Amino acid sequence: MEKYGLYLGCNIPFKAPDIEQSFRKIFPALGVEVEDLEGASCCPAWGTAPSFDLDLWCAISGRNLSLAEDKSVDLMTGCNSCFGVLSEAKHFLHDGQRRKRVNEKLGVINRQYKGSSDVYHVAHVLHQKIGLEKIKEKLVYSLEGLKVTVQPGCHTLWPSDVYHVKEKNPFYPTMLKELTEALGASAPHYSRLEACCGMGGMRSTDVEKSLGLFKEKLLSIKEEIDPDLIVTTCSSCYLQFDMSQPQLRERGEIDFEIPVFYYTQVLALAMGFDPSQVASVSKTQRDGIIKEIQSEKRKTDKTQA
Amino acid sequence: MENLKLQSEKINTAVSTIIGLGGTGILQCVQCGACSAVCPGVRAGFPVLCRLLIRKILDGQLDEIIEDSSSWGCQACNRCTEVCPQGVRPQEVVFAFRRYQAGELAVSTSTTTSQMNMYEVGHAVFTDAQELRQQVGLPAKAPTSAYNETAQKEIQTLLNNSSMAELGLF
Amino acid sequence: MAKVGVYVCHCGTNIAGVIDVEAVRAHAETLPEVAVARKDLFMCSDSGQEMIKQDIRDGLVDRVVVAACTPRTHEPIFRAALEAGGLNKYLFEMANIRDQDSWVHANDPEGATAKAKKLMASAVGKAARLQPLEDKFVDVTKAALVIGGGVGGIFSALELADMGYPTYLVEKEPSIGGVMAMLDKTFPTNDCSACILTPVMVDAGNHPNVKLMTYSEVEDVDGYIGNFTVKVRRKQTYIDWQKCTGCGACAEACPVRTTNEFNQGMDKRPAAYIHFPQAVPKKAVVDMEHCINCAGRKLGQEPKISKKTGKPMLAPCELACPADAINRSLPLDPQGRIEEIKVGSIVVATGFQVMDKGWFKEMAPEHPNVITALQLERLISATGPTGGNLYMPSTADKKPKTMTFVSCMGSRDEKFHTYCSRVCCMYMIKQARLLKEKYPHMNIYMHFIDVRTAGKDYDEYYVGARKMGVNILKGKVGGLQIIDDHRLRVLAYDMEAGTPVEYESDLVVLATAIELPESAKKLAQTLGLQFCGSNFFKELHPKLGPVETSTRGIFLAGCCQGPKDIPDTVSQAKGAAGAAAVPLAQGKVKIEPILSEVITELCSGCGICVPLCPYDAITLKIHAEKPRAEIDITQCKGCGVCTSACPSAAIVLHGYEDEQIYAQIAALTA
Repeated sequence: MEKYGLYLGCNIPFKAPDIEQSFRKIFPALGVEVEDLEGASCCPAWGTAPSFDLDLWCAISGRNLSLAEDKSVDLMTGCNSCFGVLSEAKHFLHDGQRRKRVNEKLGVINRQYKGSSDVYHVAHVLHQKIGLEKIKEKLVYSLEGLKVTVQPGCHTLWPSDVYHVKEKNPFYPTMLKELTEALGASAPHYSRLEACCGMGGMRSTDVEKSLGLFKEKLLSIKEEIDPDLIVTTCSSCYLQFDMSQPQLRERGEIDFEIPVFYYTQVLALAMGFDPSQVASVSKTQRDGIIKEIQSEKRKTDKTQA
Repeated sequence: MENLKLQSEKINTAVSTIIGLGGTGILQCVQCGACSAVCPGVRAGFPVLCRLLIRKILDGQLDEIIEDSSSWGCQACNRCTEVCPQGVRPQEVVFAFRRYQAGELAVSTSTTTSQMNMYEVGHAVFTDAQELRQQVGLPAKAPTSAYNETAQKEIQTLLNNSSMAELGLF
Repeated sequence: MAKVGVYVCHCGTNIAGVIDVEAVRAHAETLPEVAVARKDLFMCSDSGQEMIKQDIRDGLVDRVVVAACTPRTHEPIFRAALEAGGLNKYLFEMANIRDQDSWVHANDPEGATAKAKKLMASAVGKAARLQPLEDKFVDVTKAALVIGGGVGGIFSALELADMGYPTYLVEKEPSIGGVMAMLDKTFPTNDCSACILTPVMVDAGNHPNVKLMTYSEVEDVDGYIGNFTVKVRRKQTYIDWQKCTGCGACAEACPVRTTNEFNQGMDKRPAAYIHFPQAVPKKAVVDMEHCINCAGRKLGQEPKISKKTGKPMLAPCELACPADAINRSLPLDPQGRIEEIKVGSIVVATGFQVMDKGWFKEMAPEHPNVITALQLERLISATGPTGGNLYMPSTADKKPKTMTFVSCMGSRDEKFHTYCSRVCCMYMIKQARLLKEKYPHMNIYMHFIDVRTAGKDYDEYYVGARKMGVNILKGKVGGLQIIDDHRLRVLAYDMEAGTPVEYESDLVVLATAIELPESAKKLAQTLGLQFCGSNFFKELHPKLGPVETSTRGIFLAGCCQGPKDIPDTVSQAKGAAGAAAVPLAQGKVKIEPILSEVITELCSGCGICVPLCPYDAITLKIHAEKPRAEIDITQCKGCGVCTSACPSAAIVLHGYEDEQIYAQIAALTA
């Protein structure tokens, strides 16, 4: 069985543990073993060490990467920011002198960055390693007839020169679209597909500016697709879509809310897993669409996973 | 508007400061503006990012913009790096400028909370979610540094041995 | 003992700014073979040269060493000075203390001075042992070859032909005309490209001294200035051009539809086709790669006999041809044939290609309404697929309301080409002006990093576009978002306002970079051409040898040497023709005596040298009933491979003899 070190980050284990649970359900069922990286910390997020001290960033990332290296596994994360931060740190650590300095820092805590583990995003493992066909085989419910908006997020796209798994065209990404279509749903194009959702440093610096950017994107989604649900593979995008829609609605700036899921939550639902475990923590109302996904009429001829 | 008085000393200091903090490509910039055309921060209303930030640094205006919050509106999406025709890697310049600001403690309060969380539990974003985790059938304690004293010690050692320690944020 | 004169040059500050010139001169005086050692601010100036001449005339020196810039440009100058002073010009040696010393060791003056002393001493060691040599002369073939039938090649060929030299004009496409034939109108005068080019194409076709060789490629070049032997592949046309009248009936009959290269892929053409309506020569070819062999007409086989009619079943193209020029029963060789021609000089004018839009991932390259500027030329040209009506490619008949021009796609970009393609700003402004004239209500937005209009009447032309209401923004476009199959959203930046800009556009035109096509790279190997840092063919000297190459007798014209517009291309083409005519007019070319020679008495006839010679200059001939190596001086390039390989030390390379080289080594290692 193929094995990955599951790197959780911060958002998923503490804000949306149902996403974590969805990983723990779907991967073994799809033939991939996930191993915990005990003691892993924040990647470190852009607003922390990266904004203060480049070598410190590399040291904290290097420590996290060394946890996977010690287990001789590649690292897999469900958070786009973690994917970006860890990949960039690896890129910086190609510089021999920096690597030496960073390993001196890590030496103090008896650790070493070797560079032997690669960094994968959950979407990469699903799309490139497991593959669409295998996913289709395991579906208990089909999402046929449902219209889905995909939100791939930024940090798996750019800068493409530091990522070892790349989209064919990072400005018009297709991996998440294909993963979603594998569930039977349609995932039409919309013009602001690659646009930023406004989460991240921007939101903590100026929530109004963040919401402005988010609203522009959301309205494009509503006008161009008017989807049944939104699916993302970025935990930050997930949180932004989940918390900002009710916020805008309360203010009367929008009169709708679109249910939003992390991709593996929808996949877990389609594979027949219990929604109270894999999709139960959200601010936007999702019960209706969850019921719809797991309705009798959507059953495929496969037995429950 | 006041005249901008160009001073070579200020320009040299600003450029070498930013290069030293990781913005190594700054002198390659030809001010084409492609970065700012796609920057979500600039779109959202943080003007002193990418193209304009580089221009201000090249004009030696480091201290004049030290309190500007634009750099903290950077989403770190690196789209600027992807479209830059000169290999500037504008995001690295933005982050170098942030490091300059941080070194002078020109940071927001929300930023300081993250640093404290990081020091204490190894997570920038942390809420005690034990109950929530159990609800979804997970062990109450996530297998991360949050509940692992050895790991926390390691992170603290790394932080204590860095330039961040001198800032007194934790 | 030889009396060597050493002359050290300051080269202004080029050398003296780093190297202690006086120390080098003083060191020369300590060398036993040196009779005089002098220095000057510019040794190549009149006074500097006079100094050398006077020392020769005064009998002070009989060998000359100049320690200066580089022999690449200055050796001929000093050799001429020796000759004028009355000394054999091959008794000269140059020490390269600028290009190979002061320029590369600018941060190490002491080291550079020490190195200059060694280089100078090594030159002295060699010079003291030089022998006088005499130039050799051979007759010239008074004919020229021009490779490439675009506007540059056509003008080079016409100039040479007008001077009375038979000139071959080789073009790989079926017709001459090149990229200029694809253009609608030309800046800054807006004259129609076809109207000014077509008559010149016809002139080239009719000129008694021009031999057109279209649908042909240069396969091999042998020889040297004055006497090149060139193998030209005449590609198989599958249509007898002796009979073809260019009526186009075969093209009308042919059922195939494949990409039309002339229209930049904006429409389809048949497999049997005429390159374009104004083609010269106006002859049809069959693109056999896309031919579907109608009626089972495989080449070289007799036609099947119809069971119904009892008549042979012919292909539609054969049936349609009124001139009986198509006969698929003939066993035509798909490789075509090789024609060998002899010429005295060659002009290379192979032109350029524009980058494909597929490279620019942020620019929605798959979208039909994102096109290159050359595609737009075809869409607005009267001879183009829409008869000059600008339609959005995503539709058959809708005009764009809003259009966008994006500059610097692949130019000034370290990911592709760092150079400026030079013509894009101007041709985009031209396209915008033409469209604004034709469709005054169309919104046109142009995005430039900055507008470059260096040329006669160019800036006025640009300001004119502003006056016409074309919107010009400084700032590079960062990307396009796809709204639907017809519209795009432009993500741009207004540099002057310092604000991002976004709007919807129906047609986006990318000014993609000019670059050398792959095919030209193969030709470079054949001709021995070098590349410059931008991957164009390298001229001999950027200022003083702009049409010459490092291979004597081969000249450059047009965009193969670097991006340029039509006026500059024609200027260079005429210049190249003038330079190429010089050896033809002289009638004889000089061969430098830096050649290898076999000392027949020492040769054992082993033949080792024969296959080693890269120029096939050596043969074994019978001398006194024994085989002995002999070198053809017209082929020898003086490379020295045979000299160093000869086990009997029977081959001398004049100008690089053993004792000269040993003396150099001794001085360098002293």
